[in-house]
Amino acid sequence: MKSHGSLIRTIAAGCLCAVLLIGCVEQSDDTIVVGLSADITTFEPGMISSRDNSNIARHIFSSLFALGPEGEHIPELAHTLDITEDGTGYIYTLNEGLTCHDGESLTAEDVAYTFNRIADPVNRFTGNAPGFVFTSIGFQNAEALDELRVQINIERKNPIAFGLITEIAVHCKDSYEQMSLDEAATSPIGSGPYKLASWTRGSEVVLEKVREPANFERIVWRIIPEASTRTAELIAGNADIITNVVPEQVDAINESGRAEVQIVSGTRRMYLGYNLSEEHAAMPGGDAIQDPDVRRALQYAVDVSTICLQLLGVECERATGLVNIQNANPDLTPYPYDPQLAERLLDEAGWPRDEEGTRFAIRMQAGQGRYVNDVNVVLAVAQYLEDVGLDIELELMEWASVYTPLLRERSMGPLFFLGTGGGLWSPIYDMTDIAQVGSGTNYTHWSDPRWFDRWPDLVNAEDQDEQRAIINEMLKVFYDDGPWLHMYFQPDFYGVSNRIQWTARRDEYIEIFEATLR
Amino acid sequence: MSEMQINAEAPQRESGFRAEMRRARRVMIAARWPVFAVIFLIVAALAATLGGLLAPFDPNRQNLMLRLADPMSVGPDGGVFVLGSDALGRDVFSRLLYGARVSLTVGFAAIAVGGSIGITAGLLSGYFGGWLDDAIMRLGDIQLAFPFILLAIMFLVVLGSGVWNLILVLGIGQWVTYARIVRADTLSLREKEFVEAARAMGDSTLSIIFRTILPNILAPLTVIASFNVASVILSEAALSFLGLGVPPDVPTWGSMLAESRDTLVANKWWLAIFPGLAIMLTVLSFNILGDWLRDFLDPRLRERT
Repeated sequence: MKSHGSLIRTIAAGCLCAVLLIGCVEQSDDTIVVGLSADITTFEPGMISSRDNSNIARHIFSSLFALGPEGEHIPELAHTLDITEDGTGYIYTLNEGLTCHDGESLTAEDVAYTFNRIADPVNRFTGNAPGFVFTSIGFQNAEALDELRVQINIERKNPIAFGLITEIAVHCKDSYEQMSLDEAATSPIGSGPYKLASWTRGSEVVLEKVREPANFERIVWRIIPEASTRTAELIAGNADIITNVVPEQVDAINESGRAEVQIVSGTRRMYLGYNLSEEHAAMPGGDAIQDPDVRRALQYAVDVSTICLQLLGVECERATGLVNIQNANPDLTPYPYDPQLAERLLDEAGWPRDEEGTRFAIRMQAGQGRYVNDVNVVLAVAQYLEDVGLDIELELMEWASVYTPLLRERSMGPLFFLGTGGGLWSPIYDMTDIAQVGSGTNYTHWSDPRWFDRWPDLVNAEDQDEQRAIINEMLKVFYDDGPWLHMYFQPDFYGVSNRIQWTARRDEYIEIFEATLR
Repeated sequence: MSEMQINAEAPQRESGFRAEMRRARRVMIAARWPVFAVIFLIVAALAATLGGLLAPFDPNRQNLMLRLADPMSVGPDGGVFVLGSDALGRDVFSRLLYGARVSLTVGFAAIAVGGSIGITAGLLSGYFGGWLDDAIMRLGDIQLAFPFILLAIMFLVVLGSGVWNLILVLGIGQWVTYARIVRADTLSLREKEFVEAARAMGDSTLSIIFRTILPNILAPLTVIASFNVASVILSEAALSFLGLGVPPDVPTWGSMLAESRDTLVANKWWLAIFPGLAIMLTVLSFNILGDWLRDFLDPRLRERT
């Protein structure tokens, strides 16, 4: 029976390959093709916000330092970092002989220009750099001390400023001063190992090698939104790496003989958020979720383990908060699935079932096609919540053009499903999403003073032990009364052709520099 | 005088109608395929109306531990997943029955919307002519210049998804076809003697249009409608496939087909085959029926039939 199923899968995979045979071309040895699920929108360093977008930009723009898969510091444009005594000045010393893609010398003045340009309110940039990095570190300004030394000034001492600054894409002053913002968005002049050769929106981005450490002469990033098509392209040999493989297609890829799936335990934190803003409090159900007791009750209503096992195809440990498990508070245990307890707690919180069995109605919004099996996960969560008496009005939206604008305005909800990228190198990095009530990434508008008032203590902690104790206290508050229904850390599924040697990272960075032909 | 005539004609008309029905039954049985089409459509209509009673499970009830179960697998509480279960452990057979309701409702309602608009526009355009004719026909030309699916996507993005919006959009997409046919027939009929007679007898314009002309152009419209139902069902399936149809918790054949995409490679054939068959057989039935109706109502073919 098993071999029969296997045979059919092989035939199905073969048929897919046959269908695509007309498009099958033997890949050139100097070209690598990556199939992405989401379209990209810009190459403006100040506007890049999605992971797919930044993964391509990482090959065009270098940063001062980079973080390795385990958080190790990797020098890029700079080789030395000195921090001033008060912890607010970061002085980087650049390598000699650096240039941008147009041949312009890259000096400390260009690095200072990069930082100041991204922060300039005139440009109205809303990407990850100004919206998350700069607000998190309290960026003040950057200045060139001499030809090779640049100082980044931040508002106050910050234990994760170094890691956050690695996300800034450095570019050259002269070339960007001559460009309009529109030109900068479409025709980047970078500082990285590859330069942009062509970009067909919604279709593909082609990069060409400029310098080491690039292995391949060309990288072709193809936008293939539909999961089955990505799988078919990988099996047909038209793509070397694909992202977001659907769990149901793992066997078909592994049995094709042409590629295999790498499953890594990712760092992206998936959660059901509660939008606690005044606007949402006035909506049906919005008043109920203002109560931490209701939020805590709902933690018991969703069977996260079953969702992981059945819909994501892996066993996973339920999150206890917004910090990756390695860095989480060890005293906290994941909420178990206990719908009876959830019902009792909802009764006690003052939301009993009415004659029709409903406690309260509430809208739940989610994008689709962005995360692994996201539609089914959202439908399953809605079912679990309905089982304990909520009447869920589910709205599934197109990701890029409908849901993303809501994210920018922090206006989705009152319930919303989201995943937010995390890191393993510091718990504070994961916590920084909710560093301030008004942070662009605090989509919940949560404002509990027991969390926000502790940030100065955290920053000024005398030593690691004191810092850890404060972190644990804060994570306990988040666990008990936080604005997330804790779910899981997304496992990532990459399809990798047998033609190449490449290892997927846990933090969703796709670095083609490390890929080689077998 | 006219009342007496009408009363005297009534038995004759009834007798004529019965004769036509007898002829229709005889011709249909002789042609065979339309009989199968009618039988299938009756079954589909029963599934749509009695789906709630026939479905063994709640079509939206998930059971993650029983997801992607093969056809004839044992489901929860000893029930049987006759056509298997989907990626969330929902019964495919129950969803297919409920899907029939949405697909057929959307199909007929969209034709009712499109037909009403198109027939009214065509009658006014053909009868009055002049600037009104130009305006209506040019509006139709403009609409036809856009691919229908593109137009539908545009409307649904603005209006939002949902069954009623879908019906409205699909209906609006059909009106031009009706308007053009009705206009052409009205142009010729308005010069006929019986229309002149109605005018001479002092009938109002509206009465002439809707009571004198309209009944004489219904036959070709019936044929067009039967073909159109099929194309509207296909459009609904296409829009649901694109995620622009009805909300995710409402099963439709198109959305079921869309959901099957990711699992098809994994050998879960039943998720695509059954909704695909339902769409294909329904569309085929309407096409066969429309084809037969066209021949049956064509006076030139009457001798042969």
